[in-house]
Amino acid sequence: MTHHVMGVDGSYPLLLVLWLLPLAGAILAWAFGPQLKTAAGWICSALVGISFICAVAMWGPGTQSVSGALGAHQALFSWLPGFDFGLLMDPLSLLWTLIITGVGFLIHLYSIGYMDGDRAFARFFAYMNFFVFAMLTLVLSDNFVGLLVGWGLVGLASYFLIGFWFFKPSAVAAARKAFVINVAGDVGIMFAIFMIVASVHSTAFGDAFAFAGSYNSGWLLAICVCLFIGAAAKSAQIPLHTWLPDAMEGPTPVSALIHAATMVTAGVYLVARCAPLWSQNHDAQMLVGTIGALTAIAGAILGCAQWDIKRILAYSTMSQIGYMIMGVGVGAYEGGVAHFFTHAFFKAQLFLGSGLIIHALNNEQDVRRMGGLMKKMPFAFIAMLTGVIAISGIPFLGAGFFSKDLVIQGALEHGHPYLYAVGIITAGITAYYMCRLLFVTFFGSYRGDVDPSELGIRHPELAGTPAHGADQAEAEHEGSGHGQAHHAPAWIMNVPVAILIVPTVLIGWLMFGGDNSPWAHFFAQQFPHPQLSPAPIGEGVTGLITFGAVLVGIAVAWWRYATASAQSRAVERLRGESIRMPGILTHAYYFDLALDLLFVRTSQLFGTIFGRFFDPQIIDGAVRESAFSAQWLGTLVRSFQTGLLRAYALLLVVGVAAFMIYYAVIAGGVHP
Amino acid sequence: MSQMMAVPVSYYVGLSAVIFFIGVAGVLVRRNPLIMLMSIELMFNAANLLFMAFARAWLHNAGHIFAFLVITVAAAEAAIGLAIVVTVFRSAKHVDVDDVALMKG
Repeated sequence: MTHHVMGVDGSYPLLLVLWLLPLAGAILAWAFGPQLKTAAGWICSALVGISFICAVAMWGPGTQSVSGALGAHQALFSWLPGFDFGLLMDPLSLLWTLIITGVGFLIHLYSIGYMDGDRAFARFFAYMNFFVFAMLTLVLSDNFVGLLVGWGLVGLASYFLIGFWFFKPSAVAAARKAFVINVAGDVGIMFAIFMIVASVHSTAFGDAFAFAGSYNSGWLLAICVCLFIGAAAKSAQIPLHTWLPDAMEGPTPVSALIHAATMVTAGVYLVARCAPLWSQNHDAQMLVGTIGALTAIAGAILGCAQWDIKRILAYSTMSQIGYMIMGVGVGAYEGGVAHFFTHAFFKAQLFLGSGLIIHALNNEQDVRRMGGLMKKMPFAFIAMLTGVIAISGIPFLGAGFFSKDLVIQGALEHGHPYLYAVGIITAGITAYYMCRLLFVTFFGSYRGDVDPSELGIRHPELAGTPAHGADQAEAEHEGSGHGQAHHAPAWIMNVPVAILIVPTVLIGWLMFGGDNSPWAHFFAQQFPHPQLSPAPIGEGVTGLITFGAVLVGIAVAWWRYATASAQSRAVERLRGESIRMPGILTHAYYFDLALDLLFVRTSQLFGTIFGRFFDPQIIDGAVRESAFSAQWLGTLVRSFQTGLLRAYALLLVVGVAAFMIYYAVIAGGVHP
Repeated sequence: MSQMMAVPVSYYVGLSAVIFFIGVAGVLVRRNPLIMLMSIELMFNAANLLFMAFARAWLHNAGHIFAFLVITVAAAEAAIGLAIVVTVFRSAKHVDVDDVALMKG
């Protein structure tokens, strides 16, 4: 059969370079970490930066379109006849590559400051570069197997980085949880690959999509569902989202890069990449859109109930990815991908901004113990303010407005009014909890010296994260005679945040202008564009309704946390809210408990049954019984071995006599 | 031919059986390995006698040839048997087969 290759086949050395440079950095930092010391951070950052430049240079080939083939395709090697590996860079993967390397470069720079003095500084950068390589493998692969390899490797990198401070048991548990849930998703994708191979005898995207119209619809739905299990696990969609808040145990730059900007959006990439499959099956679209919307609103509501600054951002990430999944799910691919694009900037911005606070406050993460930071940290305030404006979707002032509007309007255009409504409500809730975060952290007066119990913090020793490796590293520094622990200059953390402010505010204008926007032109040939009847509500009106919901959210947050009376009685108010917080929210709808009962306990029960009964009784029993019967048989046969030669002779004679009797009597005698 | 066949073949079979069972009995009841070897020779020769008798009766040479084979095997057997007897005697200073029970299970 002929193979359908996506992209213009050719030789693109830049593509190989940008793909392999981070791997080289990872190996370098891994192998020579102790020798490189702080240079490891600069080298790894520089390699990702060079990758970014290469990705920009690949813009031309990546967006080229020659007789129906879109983008650049570089063949690598053949696995089995008909199963080829290659790299594909079309507008979709180009966009992801730019974000991974571009935002990744800024976060690498920031990490040089944030991780300064950590005893495993080089190891951190080795993991980060390894992650960038894995993520590039995921988005650049031209077939499902390569995608799954990247998919597994980013999960591994995520595991390494969540558990980076492995002396914290909570970090180790979080890393394990994230890995296990992600592997469940990998298995889903694996089954999807089996089904695709069974249908088209190929794993290449081109083949799988070329025959998208010829699949049996039930079979196609099964493929889409299996793919989506993978996407849901990676992108923290309900009910596989529980690992994401726990993943905040990792260092803050990790949360920014992996658990906000790039890895968790891999599910969005997968659905967008498989747009030809999803477009053929309305049920799959409905399922994915609904799950996305559900995740968006559920995550947003949970964001209102958190006190840990990183967990608030984690739930907001979950909620925003819900938007993206809803967008790509209903068929508004440009919208979903646009929200990924803007979210990567403003969420990285928010995480890096919160990292500035956490770093300055000596690893305090509980917003109740912050407050009044506006005067102390004006730069962090501006950084967080731009991020909050962008994520809340305040019209024209932040990037999130444009992309969120595309998703919400897209849901209506593709005939999902309920999802449209959920999107608007979620926008209001998002504005509320993000402004709550901003007001509680920066307004009023500093509460770090207030007794934790007065703020309603029940377990002060559990509330904040214990001091991380920096302290230990400082102790080591002193011990080894380095004297004063050196600190990287503040600008190394501030510069990436300052750079990110620009796209956080402005990048959304790329999506302004409907079908004539640069965004629509960029993706003009990437996604299917079915003919849609015009939506009952225009884009401008949708923007207004959303803005109304956002204003309500901001107003409620202002009334609760930022008015003069609220600020003056902040301590009592926060304590009251902590105490009255419903258990269903503080326990995140008891999803952990449900998953625990459904999967963990049942598998433990299986383990117990098999361990206590099946294995000792059936398996060991069979082994034991065969040993016993062999022994019994041996005892029996041994009794013939008397050692008496004449007894053997007698047996021989008896045997011969028996034969003779048999032939003479029973067999009827010998007939010559 | 039949005139030359003065003695009926069944007589030979009978004699052969008697000799054979004398041999069997000798192997079973005697404890001296030399006597046992001689008894085995008796059994061989009972078989040989049958071969010869049937070869004459059916005028077929296969019986003669087999008799030679049996004589050869008997010679080999006697050689090996005597070697074993000598070896056992050297190590145990006696040749009572009932006492040679090293391989008893």
